[in-house]
Amino acid sequence: MSTIALPHEAQAHALHHDDRSFVRKYIFSTDHKIIGIQFLFMSLFFLLVGGLLAMTMRWQLGWPGRPIPGGAILGDAKAPGGVMLPEFYNALVTMHGTFMIFFAIMPLLVGVFANYLIPLQIGAPDMAFPRLNMASFWTAVPAGLMMLASFLVAGGSAGAGWTSYAPLSAVPEYSGVHTGQQLWCLSLIILGFSSLMGAVNYITTVINMRAPGMTWFRLPLPVWALFITAILILLAIPILTGALILLYFDQTIGTTFFLPANGGQPLLWQHMFWFFGHPEVYILILPAMGFVSEILANGARKPIFGYPAMVGAMIAIAFLGWIVWGHHMFMSGMNPVLGGYFMVSTLVIAVPSAIKTFNWLGTLWGGSIRFHVPMLNALAFVSMFVIGGLSGMFVAATPVDIPLHDTYFVVAHIHYVLFGGSLFGIFAAITYWFPKMFGRMMNETLGKIHFFLTFIFFNLTFFPMHLLGIAGMMRRLYDPTQYPHLQPVQPMNEFVSVNAFLLGATQLIFVFNFLWSLFKGRKAETNPWHANTLEWAAPSPPPHGNFEVTPIVYRGPYEYSSPDSPVDYLPQDRPPLERPSPAPTLAPAGN
Amino acid sequence: METAHKQPNYYAIWLILFVLTIAELGVAFLSGLHAAVLITILLALAVWKALLVALYYMHLRFEPRRMWLLAATPIPLVLIFLLVVLAEGW
Amino acid sequence: MSQAAALTYPDRRPMPGMGVYNMKLGMWVFLLSEVMFFSGLIGSYVILRFAHPTAYPPPGTVLNVPLTAFNTFVLICSSVSMVKAFAAIEAGDQKGLRTFLLATTALGILFLSIQGVEYTKLASEGMLPMASLYHAVGRHGGTAVLGGPLYGATFYTLTGFHGAHVTIGVLCLIFTSIRAFRGRYTQENHGGIEIMGLYWHFVDLVWIILFTIVYLI
Repeated sequence: MSTIALPHEAQAHALHHDDRSFVRKYIFSTDHKIIGIQFLFMSLFFLLVGGLLAMTMRWQLGWPGRPIPGGAILGDAKAPGGVMLPEFYNALVTMHGTFMIFFAIMPLLVGVFANYLIPLQIGAPDMAFPRLNMASFWTAVPAGLMMLASFLVAGGSAGAGWTSYAPLSAVPEYSGVHTGQQLWCLSLIILGFSSLMGAVNYITTVINMRAPGMTWFRLPLPVWALFITAILILLAIPILTGALILLYFDQTIGTTFFLPANGGQPLLWQHMFWFFGHPEVYILILPAMGFVSEILANGARKPIFGYPAMVGAMIAIAFLGWIVWGHHMFMSGMNPVLGGYFMVSTLVIAVPSAIKTFNWLGTLWGGSIRFHVPMLNALAFVSMFVIGGLSGMFVAATPVDIPLHDTYFVVAHIHYVLFGGSLFGIFAAITYWFPKMFGRMMNETLGKIHFFLTFIFFNLTFFPMHLLGIAGMMRRLYDPTQYPHLQPVQPMNEFVSVNAFLLGATQLIFVFNFLWSLFKGRKAETNPWHANTLEWAAPSPPPHGNFEVTPIVYRGPYEYSSPDSPVDYLPQDRPPLERPSPAPTLAPAGN
Repeated sequence: METAHKQPNYYAIWLILFVLTIAELGVAFLSGLHAAVLITILLALAVWKALLVALYYMHLRFEPRRMWLLAATPIPLVLIFLLVVLAEGW
Repeated sequence: MSQAAALTYPDRRPMPGMGVYNMKLGMWVFLLSEVMFFSGLIGSYVILRFAHPTAYPPPGTVLNVPLTAFNTFVLICSSVSMVKAFAAIEAGDQKGLRTFLLATTALGILFLSIQGVEYTKLASEGMLPMASLYHAVGRHGGTAVLGGPLYGATFYTLTGFHGAHVTIGVLCLIFTSIRAFRGRYTQENHGGIEIMGLYWHFVDLVWIILFTIVYLI
């Protein structure tokens, strides 16, 4: 380590005259901030698409057989007379899951915030590979368009569920979908390349480009979370790509990897899919945990409780995520010995999850809490994640899972984790970093109205689904009234549907607030939340190249209410005042 | 470059790889061992060859320790996947 | 462009975090994901083979092992010439770099050609990935069909994806050779050769594993 090159010397003069053309600056930009914002608009669009699909499904579940208002535009192939066909319902289920997981939550958490936050929070001028970063975004766009276009092809879009279990997904005759199912595979393969390029970039950037003094244990928790997530993406996505390619061969050239007729193994698809799929679950929650840790410490004006334990718990969750995938397959005819192993290893995940939850509570304990909008959303994350985590314990135990498997209980569980967890985390993060991204504050009142209504309608929508599941309502069910045992709970389905529509309508407040604040919001100062991390040392919004001078880091990111500071925060790059403290180490490495 | 290491003898590694390949062919077709023993020996030889390539041709031997850690991350995951898949087969 | 370049970190300087330059770290990170990709395919091969042992005939009856053993030898040779190209430029030897790069490219093309011959021969003997067309009778003639369609499907998937990686590698090698002939690599600045080498050796490493489990076991 004798030849340490301080990597920031080249940037200082490039900051002031930015003469790139419009296309280079905003469309084919290599600037990590613009790419993050591009991902933000793309994934918010797909979030809306996914939400619309969900509400269309809720119409059918609440009032089976009644024409959808305005359903005539769907055409006779999907909904003759406005009443949707079962095939179209299958497509809705599949595409809702696919869009939400791959094109909304995942890019919102990783594409947006890994791009935007990592260089800013570690004090770097840009990503390690800016052009690779641009390629990553422009690979994700065609994948999304391809998925969207699959609604228009003959036979409609994929209908085998977002898990695409073979042989249902492999043989067109079984699901009635030919081209759509193939487009689904191709789109996700392309998206996989996008994620891979992103992950290589994030990992290299975090390892190699930290500012002087930014040691591993001075990294803000969002960077830790995104770094661990990038490793999960890097190692999990290729498994999915491999499985998708085999499935695509089964669909097109007539191989039989997943078809039992010639010795293929349907279970093989499930093993490969869930070996990817369970790390994917943590890809969808770990970044939100990172954002929430940051915001809770900021809102409570206290150091995060147990920083090393938080990092350790995230690493433990990420590793355990690799050895528990079989708990999705208790009912699949898997070797029963494996079932016991997978149950025990899954329950172990409760330990690091509980460590995180108690540390969040410990952070709040005794703090003088500021209930700003990001904080409210972060608090909702913690409480809803606990409910989602606890229902996860139910379905992780094999004996309990046997009756609950593939019922609405599982639907309730995943929505408590992904909507109540990840999406509240995303709302918290968007409102928290909006001033840095666009230089304007979001409206606080509208934000609070949006938060409270979302919180109420979210619980009214998804909590009853636990009860529906216990009552025996199957997931992916087209018409619950067909079954005598579900007729008594049909009013509850109507209740859920009404609340789902209200939940959807509430999001319009967010859309309005977002767009209005973009142009008319109050101008944001450099550090509106009085936070410590490095992005708040750069102007709002930061210029191309981020920092005027390379920041030097003197301390950890959560020194709130420190006695060393006259105010209740102490930024990472503020030089120590009168008290003598050890000189900053120039090499970020060497932990 | 930054790696001011003594260069290994690349041709010697090449010779070892060649001999190991011949040994593999010999074990596979001429030894007549029991299948389980045969597979174990063949896999061990393959891993040996792969390690030689990684350590010397890819210069892993001369990289910092942190790089070894990074390069080893997928190995436990691969082993877990293969173990479960094998358990499924029995 | 020049401005973007000015903002970028110097590509070929060791960085403090890992102690290697960004491109090299990036290539290693990318190779880790390649490990997972091939592990997924190998895992599926293992599960299918265990579930359906009769689909897999004894080694050497259908596949042409001597030809492939020679091909393995070709790939090992290309690996040594690649690493010699790197050693040459490390010593500032431009002529050595060009010679060894060309040799590596030629050996890569030879590998792909032999694989092409192998595929054509196997296909003519009925060794095909499609379940409905599979009727491999093996190298020793006769009419009895050896093994089952899973054999063809897994064989072509595993070796085919390796072949695709070699093809990409050969294209990159051609690109690297052109740059080498234009004198773009120097004793001080030759990260591109090292990156290329890492990828090429990785492809060789995958073949070492695949050769054993597909052809010999």
